[in-house]
Amino acid sequence: MNAIIEKINRALAEAETRAAAATDKAAIEQLRIDYLGRNGLFPALSKEMGSVPAEERKETGRAFNAGRTRIQELIDGAMERSGSTAADSVTERPDLTLPGRRRMTGHKHPITMVADECVAVFRRMGFIVADGPEIEDVFHNFDALNTPQDHPSRDEQDTFYFPDGRILRTQTSPVQIRVMESHEPPVRIVAPGRVFRRDTPDATHGMNFHQIEGLYIDRNVSMADLKSVLQTFATEMFGSGVKIRLRPHFFPFTEPSVEYDFSCHMCGGKGCPVCKNSGYIEIAGAGMVDPAVLRNVGYDPEVWSGYAFGMGIERLAMLRYRIPDLRYLYENDVRFLEQF
Amino acid sequence: MDISRKWLADYVTIDCDVATLCDRLTMAGIEVEAVESAGGVPAGVVVGRILERKAHPDSDHMSVCRVDVGGGEVLQIVCGAPNCDAGNVVPVAKIGTVFQTPEGEFKIKKSKLRGVESFGMMCSERELGLSDNHEGLMILDPELEPGTPVDRLFPGDVRIEVEVTPNRPDWLSMWGIARDVSCLLDTEAKLPEVVVPECDTVLPQLVTIEATDLCPRYIGRVVRNVKVGPSPAWLRERLESIGLRSINNVVDVTNFVMMELGQPLHAFDLKRLSGERVIVRRAAEGEKITLLDGREVELGTRHLVIADAEKPMALAGVMGGEFSGVSDETTDILLESAVFFSSNIRATSRELGISTDASYRYERGVDYDMAELASDRALQLILATAGGELGSARMDVNGGRPAEKVIPCRFDRIRSLIGTEVSNERMVEIFRKLHLKVDEITGTGCVVTAPLFRLDLEREADLAEEVARINGLDRIPAVAVTGKMCGSIREDSYARLQALRDKVISLGLFECMHYSVVTLKSALSDSRFERGDLIELKNPISPEISLLRPGLLGEMLGTLERNISRRNLNLQLFEIGRVFCGNPEKFPEERYELCIALSGLRHPERFSAERREAYDFYDLKGLLESLFELANIKRYKFVPADDPRFRKGCAAEVVIEGKTAGMFGEAAGKFTDSWRTPYAVFIAQLSVDVLLGADHGAGHYRALPQYPATSRDVAFLAPAGLEHAEILDFVRRCKLPDLESVQLFDVFVDDKLRAAGKKSMAYEFVFRNAARTLTDAEVNERIEKLRGRLAAELKLELR
Repeated sequence: MNAIIEKINRALAEAETRAAAATDKAAIEQLRIDYLGRNGLFPALSKEMGSVPAEERKETGRAFNAGRTRIQELIDGAMERSGSTAADSVTERPDLTLPGRRRMTGHKHPITMVADECVAVFRRMGFIVADGPEIEDVFHNFDALNTPQDHPSRDEQDTFYFPDGRILRTQTSPVQIRVMESHEPPVRIVAPGRVFRRDTPDATHGMNFHQIEGLYIDRNVSMADLKSVLQTFATEMFGSGVKIRLRPHFFPFTEPSVEYDFSCHMCGGKGCPVCKNSGYIEIAGAGMVDPAVLRNVGYDPEVWSGYAFGMGIERLAMLRYRIPDLRYLYENDVRFLEQF
Repeated sequence: MDISRKWLADYVTIDCDVATLCDRLTMAGIEVEAVESAGGVPAGVVVGRILERKAHPDSDHMSVCRVDVGGGEVLQIVCGAPNCDAGNVVPVAKIGTVFQTPEGEFKIKKSKLRGVESFGMMCSERELGLSDNHEGLMILDPELEPGTPVDRLFPGDVRIEVEVTPNRPDWLSMWGIARDVSCLLDTEAKLPEVVVPECDTVLPQLVTIEATDLCPRYIGRVVRNVKVGPSPAWLRERLESIGLRSINNVVDVTNFVMMELGQPLHAFDLKRLSGERVIVRRAAEGEKITLLDGREVELGTRHLVIADAEKPMALAGVMGGEFSGVSDETTDILLESAVFFSSNIRATSRELGISTDASYRYERGVDYDMAELASDRALQLILATAGGELGSARMDVNGGRPAEKVIPCRFDRIRSLIGTEVSNERMVEIFRKLHLKVDEITGTGCVVTAPLFRLDLEREADLAEEVARINGLDRIPAVAVTGKMCGSIREDSYARLQALRDKVISLGLFECMHYSVVTLKSALSDSRFERGDLIELKNPISPEISLLRPGLLGEMLGTLERNISRRNLNLQLFEIGRVFCGNPEKFPEERYELCIALSGLRHPERFSAERREAYDFYDLKGLLESLFELANIKRYKFVPADDPRFRKGCAAEVVIEGKTAGMFGEAAGKFTDSWRTPYAVFIAQLSVDVLLGADHGAGHYRALPQYPATSRDVAFLAPAGLEHAEILDFVRRCKLPDLESVQLFDVFVDDKLRAAGKKSMAYEFVFRNAARTLTDAEVNERIEKLRGRLAAELKLELR
């Protein structure tokens, strides 16, 4: 047995006694400093290890490690015992019912919440977000979308015009045109954004509202593809039980055109006040991009086909959060905003 | 458009209930918007057999009957009808039955008639709304079982309101709907038999078309010696079933045929037509006409009129003139069945603000071929209901029948477009059932000829829609979502805006959203802009709200004021939105802006002293600093500035990487002085482009320090005007080795100090070396050197 092992054994015996006697934190900390601290016994011993003859080194090392572990155990044991003593308890329990100091939390506007969610769902399905100007020209908003020259939507009654003949876009569809003009197919985009109609604000209308519109152009795209995207969107937004229903409709920029409904997420399609007892909630329009629109942007409709769909974000938000009046969305009363 | 189920059933067998019919219509693109039961016998009316009739003890004309109403129930009913004889089987309204009458609801109750109790009412046909007959009780089939509900014997009508899309004017008639219903229900649709007498009288002058470009066809014929009077019940009932008012037999027939076949018709009083003829021409400039509704309208050459030899008698396709229509004195009529150019009618209707059932159909397009059948049909019904005799042959003036569209169709192409397996044979069957002509059927395709009532069919894609629609959109199979991506999410501006917005929200702000079109006052509250910089709408909804917002300030002020007036005083708001500028020297036409507003208590949910802390200038400044930290913006500074948007002396310009990013400060008193809040309002307006442009990402990792730091505090009295930044600059210039950071930890001013023009400041200096632990002596030496220089060069009184 060499000198180091002897020192270790002596120290252990001493530490046992001291640990048993240590009841307060200071005494325990002193114990740690004396044996394990930077200038304590064990760091000092470890420096002496180099001088131990090779044949004793293994035994010495084992004793050193065992000793250091034992000291730590003694310290931990003493700590545990002292933990239950009066010194570590408070005299008065805090009133848990007093309000905590909260961080101020921000709130996203419900329109943004829904728009972000829509974008997230469509991104998961491989759509990229595209954007365009809100001050549009008649070509992109109407002509290129195959809107007849005397179509009522072009009226000054319904569309905001500027003196230079441009307009505030009435739909997000001009973004489709701009993307197709500047990109070769395939094209797979969604365009969320603000659109404008010359409507007097009431419970379901505003001078502006938001739409999100999707477009996919590729070879051999079919209505089955459209249906699958809309069905996926419906279940992602409103839950796995929600089914979609397509109904034939008419839009100048799609052929065939459909309107699509979601089965009512409130009643599961049985009929309730939210769906006006029909079991379905009308969402918006969609269809296969009209060959004339494809030709307008220089795509050959014999080679390329695709679908487009759109929906109103306010409408989704009002359905989702049961908001009865669209104007609440633009009043910005903080008691409203903080609910989202 | 309204459909009457009964009326529809005149042309097509409907072997399903109303709910199924409505569902099929909706799913075929004829969207049912409302369904309303009309007429019909009220529930509670049952078949009754009169067992016994006795004279009323106290009345000459009333009888007391005992009536078997089924289920072993025999009721005593007092009745005034002459034919309430024992043995008759009649309708009986039991107690509780509710009749809907024009005067309101009428409920059958137990009653006493001249002292005799009566437990119900026996009914006439009129009382049940089945006819006008009120001469006595309705006598039913004696074989009927007492107790049978009478509404089952005489089902009422159902009015179905449908939305017809503008591409399908052929659905604006019972016959047009019936054609699709026959296809949907796989039954036959049949037109009524039209037989008209022959007439050899040719009146070559009767119809002249001058404006051939606007009127491709005009059929006129004369009927003489008609007796204008009330319409027969069946005709009135049909019109009323879809909400039309009966006027007289001739006018009712023209309306009936329009609703039946979709072809608008007009009947002129022949004797009121100067020269007994009509000329279809453009109006002369300034020519006037008084319309049926009494309005006088001044016309121009853009308007098409039906004139007599002298003046306009009707606004073609829109409305008849006041003096040329059929009246009680009319004996001879000219019956018009014409085709007008749809765009012209639409323009006229819109210009004059007149929409009629006729203009509604004309502006969507009527069927060239139908004009002829409709003319015959109306003639047939006029002769049947108003008498008279045919005064002329059919005078049919036209520019020739337009060519029908011939559409080659590839079966595979249609299948690939609609993504549904439909056999070639099924497609051909669908086309034929829709009354389209199909020729040249091969294994790969066919040639479809679209009849003139289907002007919407032009291309293969249109035929694909017909197949999809009739085959059923619910048969489109569920497939997996597939598609090719066409770019990267990094490119899209939405992701960057979204990220910025999330950062602002994480700082505790509430997102607002305002309209883009604002008032002049709102727009000009942002003093960066003048009237000439604003973009104005040509046709605003109201003249006051006509400008695109040049910044977000104006509407944000409105929201602050609105909240404050509602006693929401604690506000932390922001908006990120598009703003517009018409002056390219100031800003691009469209850009994004960020506006932040703070006012009120910082922590209204806390208690004690913390609760009383209101937002101040440094809250907004700190908020911006935090935002810049989140947005990885490093090179920014705040420069003192003044601007009419802010209280003088309490505003700063934000400069990021040398570019003006915007301003912030305390909102000017001109905005907030009248608001009922004790708290100051702080506003920031920043360019989103500059913020996003300065975000260079999080940068590289820095190694964590291996050695401890040593800190020293220095406190002093400084001249009141000495800024924190000057002290930091000075310290930086001193180039103290190993100085890691300088942290201000106290600024204090009391009355005494203020009077002396001084403030007390205290800083903590932290030293650290990357390679070793600094000794106390080293640090002391450096801090002493610094203290010496602070005292000597900045004239600070060290404490």
